[in-house]
Amino acid sequence: MNKAKNVVFSYSFLLPSSILTVVLGIYPIVWAMRYMFFDYKGYGEERFIGLDNFARIWTDHEYWDSVLNTFIYAGGKLALSLPLALLLAVILNRGLRGRGVIRALLFMPTIISTAVMAVVFFAIFNSYNGILNQFLMKYNLIGSPVDWLGVDHAMLSVILVAVWGALGNYMLLFLAGLQNIPQDVYESSSLDGAGRWQQFRYITIPMLGPVMQMIVMLAIINALKGYESIMVMTDGGPIGKTNVMFLYVFKLFFPTASGSAATQVQEMGYGSAVAFVTALIVGAITIVYFYGSRRMSRND
Amino acid sequence: MRYGWRWITWAFLLVVLFLTLFPIVITLLGSLKTNAELTAGATLLPLSWQFGNYKEAWSTAGFGTYSFNSLFVAAMATAGTLIVASMAAYVVNRMSFFGKKIYIGIQAFTMFVSIGAVVLRPQFELMIDLKLHNTLWGVILILISAHASAFFILLSFMSGIPRELDEAARIDGCSPASVYARIVLPLLAPGLGVAGLFAFRGAWNEYLLPFVFTLSKPELQTLTVGLANLKYGVSAAAQTHYMMAGACLSIVPILVVYVFANKSFMQMTAGSLKG
Amino acid sequence: MKKRWLTMTLAAVVMAGSLAACSGKKTEENGGAESGGSDSGEKTVISYWTGDRHDSEFIKEVVDEYNATNKDNIEVDLVIKGDDFDQALDMSFQTSEPPDVIRVKENTIQTFYKKGYLAPIDEFLKEEHKAAFPEMPDLNSFEGKRYSLPNYGTTMRLIYNKELFAKAGVTAPPTTLAELVDVAKKLTAAGKESGAYGFAQNFKNPGSAFGRSSRVIAEVSGFGGFGYDFKTAQYDFSHFKPIIEAFKQIKDDGSMLPGVESLDIDPLRAQFAEGKIGMYLSFSAEAGVYTSQFPAKIEWAAAPAPSIDGSFNGASGFLGGQWLALSSKTTKKEAAWKFMSYMYSESLLQQYQEKGFGISMVPSVSEVAATPQVKGIEGFLPNPYDGVWPVYPVVAVQGTKSDDAFFKYMVSGGDLDAIIKDLNERYNAALAQAVKNGEVKAEPDPNFDPKALAGKFAK
Repeated sequence: MNKAKNVVFSYSFLLPSSILTVVLGIYPIVWAMRYMFFDYKGYGEERFIGLDNFARIWTDHEYWDSVLNTFIYAGGKLALSLPLALLLAVILNRGLRGRGVIRALLFMPTIISTAVMAVVFFAIFNSYNGILNQFLMKYNLIGSPVDWLGVDHAMLSVILVAVWGALGNYMLLFLAGLQNIPQDVYESSSLDGAGRWQQFRYITIPMLGPVMQMIVMLAIINALKGYESIMVMTDGGPIGKTNVMFLYVFKLFFPTASGSAATQVQEMGYGSAVAFVTALIVGAITIVYFYGSRRMSRND
Repeated sequence: MRYGWRWITWAFLLVVLFLTLFPIVITLLGSLKTNAELTAGATLLPLSWQFGNYKEAWSTAGFGTYSFNSLFVAAMATAGTLIVASMAAYVVNRMSFFGKKIYIGIQAFTMFVSIGAVVLRPQFELMIDLKLHNTLWGVILILISAHASAFFILLSFMSGIPRELDEAARIDGCSPASVYARIVLPLLAPGLGVAGLFAFRGAWNEYLLPFVFTLSKPELQTLTVGLANLKYGVSAAAQTHYMMAGACLSIVPILVVYVFANKSFMQMTAGSLKG
Repeated sequence: MKKRWLTMTLAAVVMAGSLAACSGKKTEENGGAESGGSDSGEKTVISYWTGDRHDSEFIKEVVDEYNATNKDNIEVDLVIKGDDFDQALDMSFQTSEPPDVIRVKENTIQTFYKKGYLAPIDEFLKEEHKAAFPEMPDLNSFEGKRYSLPNYGTTMRLIYNKELFAKAGVTAPPTTLAELVDVAKKLTAAGKESGAYGFAQNFKNPGSAFGRSSRVIAEVSGFGGFGYDFKTAQYDFSHFKPIIEAFKQIKDDGSMLPGVESLDIDPLRAQFAEGKIGMYLSFSAEAGVYTSQFPAKIEWAAAPAPSIDGSFNGASGFLGGQWLALSSKTTKKEAAWKFMSYMYSESLLQQYQEKGFGISMVPSVSEVAATPQVKGIEGFLPNPYDGVWPVYPVVAVQGTKSDDAFFKYMVSGGDLDAIIKDLNERYNAALAQAVKNGEVKAEPDPNFDPKALAGKFAK
């Protein structure tokens, strides 16, 4: 009918979001990213070096190792946390006694600060007197202490911590998504004699489609970007085994944060180039996922 | 059969709850130990209960003074995020117009690259131009500007709301704005609840922005900035026991907000669709 | 239900709008008041930023006292940061109002100077200052101008558990790498049933671990602690070979505390205080930790760090030479300097050492100051081996850093010679590039004698 009016209305509703995003989101990113063509150490001369930074990325083994680590980390985190979160959400969506309290308790890990988490998980995982090893040895599940934060198991440990920290988030998102499904659909299907599994398979999953697509997308992006809990737990070590892309980028920008006795040089230029390539990787994966999962967003 | 399932469900829940809560119990117990005992590990229960840690954490982190600032920033950022993101999600989902895909792309792009500290400088310079650099409004605006994930959450919940409802209202003569306010927003409650909770938590825990914006205005500091002071004290080692006490204290406000948000996504069932 | 959400949302919008208006106005008023205030002789507020935490109680007292007693109407706003000090300072210079007085350290002053954060203090220096405070190139003066004055320094030592030594029948701390390996083994054998191990390093951060261990061993043996050779103006990591091999040997022998891969310095200290670690290498700040934070349950002492083969051809790094500096952006230079000269008063510096916060590097203070009142500090006081090393040129090396490469070798083995060759090539390439760009200076000094650095603080 009044299509032009609708378009004007749409733009006006989009305006606050667009202005904020462009001015405080995009512009600062572009501002920082322009250094990717420069040799710039955070002070002094900004020397234009064309694509040299990108050539350096190509041969930077530490970076590509961190990309691989990111995939392992993100894959592990997603494979464990998403199904578990969905399962919990489905259970806690039903008339279960005390579900409100259980939901609140499961949400609690998501509000603990990362600095405190590092101390707590060191107390649990460390191989010298960690609680986990003491427990496992007491019940003869292991013969000698396992170095959970050592070279072989550190990745597993940081994944488990990541799952612990993220489970509550995805459970809540799934729960909210389940709440969006009209109850009468379940009621009428019960009358038709559908069992729980059939309801889950033929009502819950399809009706949850768009929300599920979004939850998985956010989860993928967050898993690829996550570095803070790793930084405080293992600082990317030992010997780079838990070094992920964003931690690598962070350390290029903020080398002094590591507390090393040697003075470190801030790599603004190279860091920007690496951040850009990293963004391309995250973006490419997200886009591939988004097109691959288009079927989910159709809820019919 | 039914009983069997119930048992399995409860066993599963108890295992998950145990694993989830164990580290939190460790935090709570740790907050009541001496620093030496906590850092050395080896004990589960405190040898002597140090309730004084909480007193120290309360006063050093300035809970009394800074909680209000944190609450203010978090509440404003949450309200702003929800308004801005829900408006955008509404038109992107319901209307057709040129540039929609560009808009979605831009929102997604902001999520691909974000190491807060790297973009802080241009953001701060913009706030100087707006004369908001010594106020918490600068912090709030920047927090609101990062609303991409709230937008995507709300967008997906929007597609769960049947179009028939607002189309019917449009035919009845409602303007798009009033459809948004009267029909879409109430039905979006579960999404708003979750997105709001996440926005609140993010703002409440934000450290770098309030830290930089209050460098010259200590009275505007938020709790996270105060909490960072807990780490350092009389000697070269970190005061982990105070940090843990501070962490336990600062959980409480978010749990309160959780209880309120929880109402929006749990009580508000789709029953209203019938009416 | 619908209505409530709507009203809440609307209320939020209205509130946001009205509050925004209010606060905008308020800031203006505040701004006005401030500029008016300075004319009418109100307090001059200067801010002092420090990243030190070991002396914070004392500094708080000192600053409070200054605020209460100074007659110049100066009020000092003390800001204590932690690990994020450098980052916070960068941020403050890039974005908002930087501090007026800055705490500088031996590994930050060069960077801060190059970034233009510091202002020279020559205009304020009186003859008495020049006589009392030694000038140290690159540590407190650059291109002939002074930017800071020394206060205290940090020495590096081997810290050891006397009780475990006695139990293992070891009478003296090791003085060579071979002895270090051997003693670690004996201590582990003696302590194993009580869960104690001979040696530990905080490898959660290899830079921090080697920066307090291999560094000082190289330095007393006559080699630059970060691989830079001052004679040739080149990086040469080959001197680290025996040191890293010894550490690896200790680890392979099982004499290293389990889980050092993820060990941070604080848990290491806590275990040492519990008596679970025989020895480790670290800075003089440890003495304070074992008095106040992690009260040591064992008798311990500090001894000079071992050298590679027992001969001392260099100097054990005495780190310091600078303390406070003026910000280049301060608008209250006079007031800031008044505060600085108060901080540098002899009685205050004397208390600084006596309370055990650091070991004085100012000769006139060391002469009169008593031994610090901290248990165990005796071993950290300057000995004939201590000396101040010149500053090495920092380069942005591409690829794995030396600390990470060495730690990797310790954990997973490999060809150490090849690792060192690769490090030398990459560090020297980065050095050549940095010299070419004018970022650093590196000139060979064939007469450089590391042994001559020692012996200036104690005979």
